[in-house]
Amino acid sequence: MMTNVLVNAKDVTKTYQTAKVEAKALRGLTLEINESDFMAIVGPSGSGKTTFLNLVGALDTATDGSLNVLGRDISAMSKRQRADLRLHKLGFVFQAYNLVPVLTAQENVEFVLELQGIGDNRFNRAREILDKLGLAEFANRRPNELSGGQQQRVAIARAVASNPKLVLAAEPTANLDGENAEVLLQMMRDLNENQNITFVFSTHDPRVVAHAKRVVTLVDGRISKDETKSQTKSSL
Amino acid sequence: MMLSVSNKYAMRSLVRHGRRTILSVVGIGVGCGLCLFMIAFVRGESKMMLRAAAESGAGHFRVVPAKWNETRENDLRLIDWHQARKLVASVDEVEVVTPHARKEVLLGFGTRVAGVEMVGVDPNTEQTCNRLARSVVEGHYLDGEKGTTVIGKTIATRLKVEVDDELMLTTAGADGEMAGAMLRIVGIIGTGSRDLDATICQVNLQDVEQITHLSGAGDLTALVKNPKKLELIVKSLSAKLGTGYSVVTWEQLMPELASGAKVDETWTRLTVGIIMIVVFLGIASAQLTAVLERRKEFAVLSAVGMKGSRLIQIMVYEGLVLGLVGAIVGLAVGVPSAYWIATKGIDFTKMYGTDDMSVSNILIDLVFLGDFGWWLVPLAFALALTATILSSLYPAWYAAKIDPAAALRVEH
Repeated sequence: MMTNVLVNAKDVTKTYQTAKVEAKALRGLTLEINESDFMAIVGPSGSGKTTFLNLVGALDTATDGSLNVLGRDISAMSKRQRADLRLHKLGFVFQAYNLVPVLTAQENVEFVLELQGIGDNRFNRAREILDKLGLAEFANRRPNELSGGQQQRVAIARAVASNPKLVLAAEPTANLDGENAEVLLQMMRDLNENQNITFVFSTHDPRVVAHAKRVVTLVDGRISKDETKSQTKSSL
Repeated sequence: MMLSVSNKYAMRSLVRHGRRTILSVVGIGVGCGLCLFMIAFVRGESKMMLRAAAESGAGHFRVVPAKWNETRENDLRLIDWHQARKLVASVDEVEVVTPHARKEVLLGFGTRVAGVEMVGVDPNTEQTCNRLARSVVEGHYLDGEKGTTVIGKTIATRLKVEVDDELMLTTAGADGEMAGAMLRIVGIIGTGSRDLDATICQVNLQDVEQITHLSGAGDLTALVKNPKKLELIVKSLSAKLGTGYSVVTWEQLMPELASGAKVDETWTRLTVGIIMIVVFLGIASAQLTAVLERRKEFAVLSAVGMKGSRLIQIMVYEGLVLGLVGAIVGLAVGVPSAYWIATKGIDFTKMYGTDDMSVSNILIDLVFLGDFGWWLVPLAFALALTATILSSLYPAWYAAKIDPAAALRVEH
């Protein structure tokens, strides 16, 4: 079966320039992310995981090399076009949940739909997403009335509200206990399998790695390993 | 109406930092209220000065012989003052029009003399447009009886005369020869201003014609219902009256008063501007702090696809809400104070030690009353909204420029 390539990175470098120091976060990284991947990017701190997610998420642009996300060359896109890409095709999940604290769970999900220009129907659509993810009972609660696990589940609901092709998650389980992390990973796995949403995580968490179908290891801004689970299993 | 999520976010962000929002609103309200008070006072003062000038004999405008503009001679007379008066009176916006004929004379009683500008008037209309003519303190005002006069209290004191005494009037006639007449005092005018009372000598218009052998009126003085329309009225009348006449406004007749009013207006604008700049900077600072505090929140919103324009919209909406509430607080502060100044006023009597004050032959009431009206409401909203919306723009622009990757990198 032919698989669609969602992200195609070739020789991508990213250098952060400060007044005195030049820091190379990515050094000629080449990687393809395919449709339906459930991929963990692991590596020590400073290995370039977050930088890579920021580039794929069109939050930043590469210093060199080419990066195509969903067929679009990120470095050739304007700030506005990148915002549009994020709004319509990408979803984000953050380590610290980052829900808008003054909005309820329902409104946090609705916000993305409103930004997409969905008018009258957005309330029902947001409620539908929360229902599907088993979050209906939390719909009218604000983030400070939810546990960490519940907040992160709402964050996933927000991330998938726009029907994205690709969800990027930065350390999504880092602040969660074992039980909550398991619930969350199962939820993402279901979305991956049932709705064909591609997930890419940056993580240190072995629980995430255990759920991932593919694990890419970065060291010093380069890929040191790229393994799919079947290969990993067979090699073991 | 259901609020959009963006607007709910903006509203709740204001509520989230309640104390800062309250302080901002109080700042806007007090600044706005102060401006309303000042503007009400200066508007009232300007109206009062204009009314005082107009009703002290100058009128809102005068119709004079065309040549008067060049020579300012009192001996000039209108071509056909009856016809011109009819024409002026036919204009809807004109409240009253009255003729005058002026002549410099010497008044004598016994061995005492006083020089004064005698003004020939129509007693039927003069009192309606001249507050000096309403300030008779002894006797009565002119009633049309020939050979009678009313004079100011200072002249009466100087000449040591009283009602029913006869004054000897001497002047130069039209032919240059000396002319004279006896005038019986029927009333003494006391305005409260000694300076002004030293300039008043009014007689019947016909008496001036007879004494000077110059027939007719030298000018027609008119009051209008709405001074804001003065320019239009003057323009239209100038066209109707034709070349032999000239229409001059109170500003042209009393340029020192007009420039004084302009100076007052400029100072008020400057002060209002300074107050609003202080409010503007205060709000901008508070809004910028709010943006810096929400830097990460904005970065997240930007990451999920919110464009800079939407962020600006949210910040401006917050400014709009602050402005609306600030305007209401401003009205709560400004309306009672403007009402107080419009009804009680500021009494300068003690400062000047008299009830009335005259400047340039204008009788000014020393209780300065402010202006009050519905105009305060739109003005409050205009001031508050302009200040808050403008002061939101820089923080909004700053918010829109936040680099989401950099702001989120802090988290990692």
